[in-house]
Amino acid sequence: MKIDLEKLKGIVGQDNIKNDIADLYVYGSDSSVHNALASVVVRPTTIEQVQEIMRYANAELIPVIARGSGSGMSGQAVPIDGGIVLDLKKMNRIIEIRPADMLCKVEAGLVDDDLNRALKPYGLFYPPLPASSRVATIGGEIANNASGIRSVKYGATRDSVLGMKVVLANGDLVNLGSNTRVEASGYQLDRLMVGSEGTLGIIVEATLLLKPIPKFRCIGRASFNKLEDAGEAISEIIASGASPSMLELMDNIAITAVNTTLKMGLPDVEAIVMFEADGKVKEAVDAEIKFMKEICEKHNGSDIETSYDLKERTKLFAGRKKLFAALSRYKEGLSCTSLADDMAVPYSKMAECAIKIHEIAKRNNVVMTAYGHCGSGCMHTKILMDPTKKEQWEGAKRAVEEVYEYVRSVGGTTSAEHGIGLSKAPAWKKEKADSLKILKAIKKALDPNNILNPHKMQDAPDDWVTATKLRYPVE
Amino acid sequence: METKNLKDWKNELNICIRCAYCFEGCPVFKITDWETDSARAKIILAYGMLIGDIEPSQYIADKMFQCTYCRDCSERCSANVPVVDVLAAARADLVEAGFASETHKGMVKNVKETGNIFGDKEIKAPVQQGEIPVYIGCQYLARPNQTKMYLKILEKLGVKPLVKDEICCGYPLYALGFRKEFAEHKKKFLEIFPEKEIVALCPTCAAYIHEEYGKDVKHITQFILEHLPEKNLGLKATYHDPCDLSRVMNITEEPREILKKLGIELVEMPRNRKTSHCCGGGGGILMSDVNLSDDIAIVRIKQAIETGAPLLITPCPTCEQVLKKAAATVKEKGEGDITVKNLSDVVWKALRS
Repeated sequence: MKIDLEKLKGIVGQDNIKNDIADLYVYGSDSSVHNALASVVVRPTTIEQVQEIMRYANAELIPVIARGSGSGMSGQAVPIDGGIVLDLKKMNRIIEIRPADMLCKVEAGLVDDDLNRALKPYGLFYPPLPASSRVATIGGEIANNASGIRSVKYGATRDSVLGMKVVLANGDLVNLGSNTRVEASGYQLDRLMVGSEGTLGIIVEATLLLKPIPKFRCIGRASFNKLEDAGEAISEIIASGASPSMLELMDNIAITAVNTTLKMGLPDVEAIVMFEADGKVKEAVDAEIKFMKEICEKHNGSDIETSYDLKERTKLFAGRKKLFAALSRYKEGLSCTSLADDMAVPYSKMAECAIKIHEIAKRNNVVMTAYGHCGSGCMHTKILMDPTKKEQWEGAKRAVEEVYEYVRSVGGTTSAEHGIGLSKAPAWKKEKADSLKILKAIKKALDPNNILNPHKMQDAPDDWVTATKLRYPVE
Repeated sequence: METKNLKDWKNELNICIRCAYCFEGCPVFKITDWETDSARAKIILAYGMLIGDIEPSQYIADKMFQCTYCRDCSERCSANVPVVDVLAAARADLVEAGFASETHKGMVKNVKETGNIFGDKEIKAPVQQGEIPVYIGCQYLARPNQTKMYLKILEKLGVKPLVKDEICCGYPLYALGFRKEFAEHKKKFLEIFPEKEIVALCPTCAAYIHEEYGKDVKHITQFILEHLPEKNLGLKATYHDPCDLSRVMNITEEPREILKKLGIELVEMPRNRKTSHCCGGGGGILMSDVNLSDDIAIVRIKQAIETGAPLLITPCPTCEQVLKKAAATVKEKGEGDITVKNLSDVVWKALRS
């Protein structure tokens, strides 16, 4: 692939281009197991620069991979075919905050927490809140339809995006969506872009729906000696009409990892359920918490603690917030790999799903945990294994297949919030078998030359293990 | 390249899940905005060299030396990956492979020939007999007035400091990857300081003597606090936590208690204690990339100015030096005004009155 560096320098300037092998190696990796080399890293600072880059890449058939902080877990930002990695972190301005319209307009490279810090004085917040909000960019969150602990009440990113500016493959700039809460007309192209993982266009600006920061917030934590009981409590809380602003599950492996790494002193039980309610009226929050607490007790939940106090709330939730990285310390010699990391199942199947995950792990000689934003049907796991051993990868591959077979069998879906990328693509393609033609047609219509993050999602290789070089040296 | 030092950290390199959470507070990344300059990138590159994915180069070496060793990354890492230790090992392998900079080589030569990092034979410790062994460190020795002030403070507090004809603690040799030279230096240091308990003036020396030599080190702030009477200076100030003192030695409250005892109203910066923002003076970048160091210091001094306090106090000579320079730059540009003082200045002011 021949890339005219002088041309690119002419667009973004010498200081916004990197092509040393070290840069290409760093930008060829994310939080997934994959690794591939980019051809050049380019850092635009304006929409016009993005348009010019796209016009050039489209004419020369050069792949373009949009990148935020590269914190994705499924290889979405890994440049499988090389090409231009478009680092959008410099496009991080807050364009306007309109409290009267409950919206803001921001550039794609803005970090989620930075936005929320700026919104705080207005008494507003942007709700999706993925665990990675401290580094995740708004553009990356939109491209992956990210969500987080509060999605049970406030929805995922798709529910908080009103519109966006997108640079298409040919360099054209389009305004999608509106500045309004509702929009009923025609194909909802802005919604199509959410979760498209950079395969349909480069999101450069977004109009986001904001919510008022609740005056009261109370968190609760209950311990369960049986995972099934925790699952039933979660299912009943949702089915009963309660309105939690957070409903989380952690299994014993997750608890052990957090206790080992962070010395959290969480109770050594089969499962922990964390629940939260928020609102403007304290009595209403009290009632929600009491209601959820009673349901936990009914299902043998014990040692239930609740608190409105910020310090106490932070303490009660700290283990969950830092769980992902802490899993790497579960056991000496095992690394935490983002495989089968994300799925959604119907509420009534949450406990069964967790139990299945443990069975599958045992059968395939790997360790898998079960945790997640169960209030929104989202279950996470990770595969803990020795990544230098070939047989561990074989076991991991089987485990991933079996987990998603189960998920499909109960009417679940391959990704709740982490995206598809490379490592979940084989399972996702099976789930979407009857709509693959439509998905490919949409891609072809918007990106006829297949330059936008090619070979991802529906176009990704069928074997994720060999899709790219693995980032670990496998013996 | 032989990676004999990095090999020891293979497990830790596998532990890193590359979540990028270390981007959040990395002072270098926050200035350049290039991922290659982040803590995560240093881990990725170290791993790449270890497993033979990438060959070492001067460019990679430059990236590895572009770090202030502030340990903000490790503090934020939920997997507790000791990024700085991995980085030190990578630096050692790169130095052995011939990628040491001339500036750093010069500093090592200075330590070998004169015992201090400046290569100045005139820099000597004010040797005196006493009861408590006090380690002064190169940076304070180069500021004889301040050293004198600290010694006078100790005497005023009823302590007789024992000052030896000391040499550098060796941390610069270790941090910059000169392991062989450090091994020789370490022996000499231990001959001079066989004692188990030492009081150290410089936060970095204190942290290193504690970590590497396993000694019971008290930082001077801990010692002062134990003996300091209450005073009322009636000042308003903000306090800058030196990285080695807060994140390595876990000393965050003692300096604040001292300020409180002196009747100084403390106004905190949002990033304080273990989340303190680096001053930009550590890890060797003051020598190898002074512009980057200056830029980081300006970020920190602006955070201090935003508190509205007219005075910034820190107990670290390097922090004091770079933040004073940043304060002058910011003042010249009309972007704010703040006076930077060493903790010794206010303690002595209170004690002599």
